[in-house]
Amino acid sequence: MLRMQDISKIYRTDLIETHALRELSLEVKAGEFVSVSGPSGSGKSTFLNIAGLLETFDTGLYELDGREVSGLSDDARSRIRNEKIGFIFQGFNLIPDLDLFDNIDVPLRYRRMKADERRKRIESALELVGLASRTKHLPSQLSGGQQQRVAIARAIAGDPALILADEPTGNLDSLMARQIMDLLEKINAMGTTIVLVTHDPELARRAQRNIHIVDGVVIDSPPYQSRFTQFPPRTTAGAAAE
Amino acid sequence: MKTARTQVNLMNVPIRPLFSSLRRNPTGAVLVALQVAITLAVMINAAWIVAQRLEKLERPTGIDTRDTFEIGIVGSSRKFNVAQAESEDLAYLRGLPGVAAATVVNGILLTENGGDTDLSRDPGTNGPVVGANFLTVDDQALNTLDVPLIAGRNFRADEIRPLTKGKQTPPSEVIVTQSLARTLFPHGSALGRIIYNGDSNPLTVIGITRDFMGPQVGAPAYNTVLLPTMPGQAGLYALLVRTRPGMRDTVMREAKQHIGTAHRFGITGFSTPLAKAERQMHAGDRNTAILLTTVTALMLAVCCLGVFGLTTFNVGSRRRQIGTRRALGASKRDIVAHFMMEGALILSGGAFLGSILALVVGNWLTVHYALPRLDLVYLLGGVLALWIVGLLAAWQPARRAADVPPSVATRTV
Ligand SMILES: Nc1ncnc2c1ncn2[C@@H]1O[C@H](COP(=O)(O)OP(=O)(O)OP(=O)(O)O)[C@@H](O)[C@H]1O
Ligand SMILES: [Mg+2]
Repeated sequence: MLRMQDISKIYRTDLIETHALRELSLEVKAGEFVSVSGPSGSGKSTFLNIAGLLETFDTGLYELDGREVSGLSDDARSRIRNEKIGFIFQGFNLIPDLDLFDNIDVPLRYRRMKADERRKRIESALELVGLASRTKHLPSQLSGGQQQRVAIARAIAGDPALILADEPTGNLDSLMARQIMDLLEKINAMGTTIVLVTHDPELARRAQRNIHIVDGVVIDSPPYQSRFTQFPPRTTAGAAAE
Repeated sequence: MKTARTQVNLMNVPIRPLFSSLRRNPTGAVLVALQVAITLAVMINAAWIVAQRLEKLERPTGIDTRDTFEIGIVGSSRKFNVAQAESEDLAYLRGLPGVAAATVVNGILLTENGGDTDLSRDPGTNGPVVGANFLTVDDQALNTLDVPLIAGRNFRADEIRPLTKGKQTPPSEVIVTQSLARTLFPHGSALGRIIYNGDSNPLTVIGITRDFMGPQVGAPAYNTVLLPTMPGQAGLYALLVRTRPGMRDTVMREAKQHIGTAHRFGITGFSTPLAKAERQMHAGDRNTAILLTTVTALMLAVCCLGVFGLTTFNVGSRRRQIGTRRALGASKRDIVAHFMMEGALILSGGAFLGSILALVVGNWLTVHYALPRLDLVYLLGGVLALWIVGLLAAWQPARRAADVPPSVATRTV
């Protein structure tokens, strides 16, 4: 489903170069449920953003669903995001002045889908996350856990092959977090590949496999049981050092 | 940063969700729509007025203004003998070597100092009426104005009704301009036909002149009726003088000086070369056109600023939403189209309101300022112009919205 080889990503500001990813290589097979953990600043979000085509990378190869994506145009990347990938964000990212129905409708509209097809998908997605009766509610009228479930409904409505979730439970209490995890497992069971970035060792353990990223590279043995030290990201004062 | 292809298909933007989000957050949009409405109403009517003024600038006076001047005479006391003063003045002027022709008249041409009246094909006050400048003159008027007759004949000297102490005998012959003749009698010739001025005696059209401009207080400029009547019942009259070429200023100075001291109880009032009156008449129109154009342009600019500001604000405050939309699959073009469509909705709302407002204002101007009824082409043109200019104003911030990177969706919490 997803194969990265020697992916490097450097963030450059006026004074500082940050090596967020250093020749990172990993593979996620179709149908897998993979968790990604690691210390803060280690590059987990960077990895996920690159995987989801939200950001570009500097060097390396990235094959998504059998297709090399590095040379693709902005439009083509948008289309892949729209058709193949479902995003779940830590902050839910629902559009505040659209009701639940219209929120879930957003990616389907960008796919230029017919109205009745969209309606069918929205209703069954809301059904799946248990919010079928709330289509006309605004996000602000829901709890955080409910909002995240709407976001999940939005992510799956387009029937993506891959779901990318960056700390989806980061803003939720542990009960709601477990409910979200249940939901993700259910979706995975229906065949969707899931990559989940999480700090929570309990949730990470529930995935089929855990990938550990430290300082921009994948560490082989996942030490999530132990208390690892926090690696600060290595930054080189590029221009300033000269 | 690479730019998206500029082909933006607004039709792909869903309108209903846009509408409902506008409805939930209406303040800015409503304010800008109101601004659009007011701007549109002013713009359309200003353009209409300017068009009338520009048209007026193009129109010839039909008079030899270069060699003609007028002097107004005002009685300073009830004892002023107008009839005597008139005949003395005319005799004096006609005796001057520089004078080609002179007449008395009841107003100053081209200066809005004069009278207008309503004429009708039927007696009484109920039938349809046509507005006209009216000039009470003697038999030398056409000669002095240098306006040729197209049909019929001039007044004879014996037809001129003299000023009398009591009630003046009303005239029964009139000469009309071609425009007036056509308006009164669209089918067939006006010559020999009868017209009425309210309950007046029947007036027979004995002559039709080429068009020329009257004083035009309220009447259409070229609608003029001439009556064979010595003016001055109210104690004031004007002398209209055409000089030999190039002698206007000399003659006018001399005449003013002489007449100013000639009468007991009579003084010279407003006097002007008609060329100057023409210039001032045009200056008024030109200034009005310039003023209205400037004000409208400013309002349009401010309106664009409003659209630009609102879009810029919306883009700035919705960066995360834009990033999320991008993450969910919106192309750059979708984002541009989204904000353009939002602008278009606001503009359309404003244009709808503005069109109604423009018609109301236009109607009011027609009723109160005798402006011709607003041409709907101006309404459509105004709506279209504002729409295009408004969308152009939204374009730059919309383009910037497209440059919000999709990673904003995850990077800003
Ligand atoms: N847009 C950016 N510009 C500059 N530096 C960035 C940018 N985004 C991330 N970085 C840096 O890249 C490194 C990796 O960041 P990343 O967000 O991937 O870490 P993370 O593992 O997701 O951390 P956390 O667990 O705190 O979310 C960090 O040092 C971060 O400061
Ligand atoms: Mg992160």
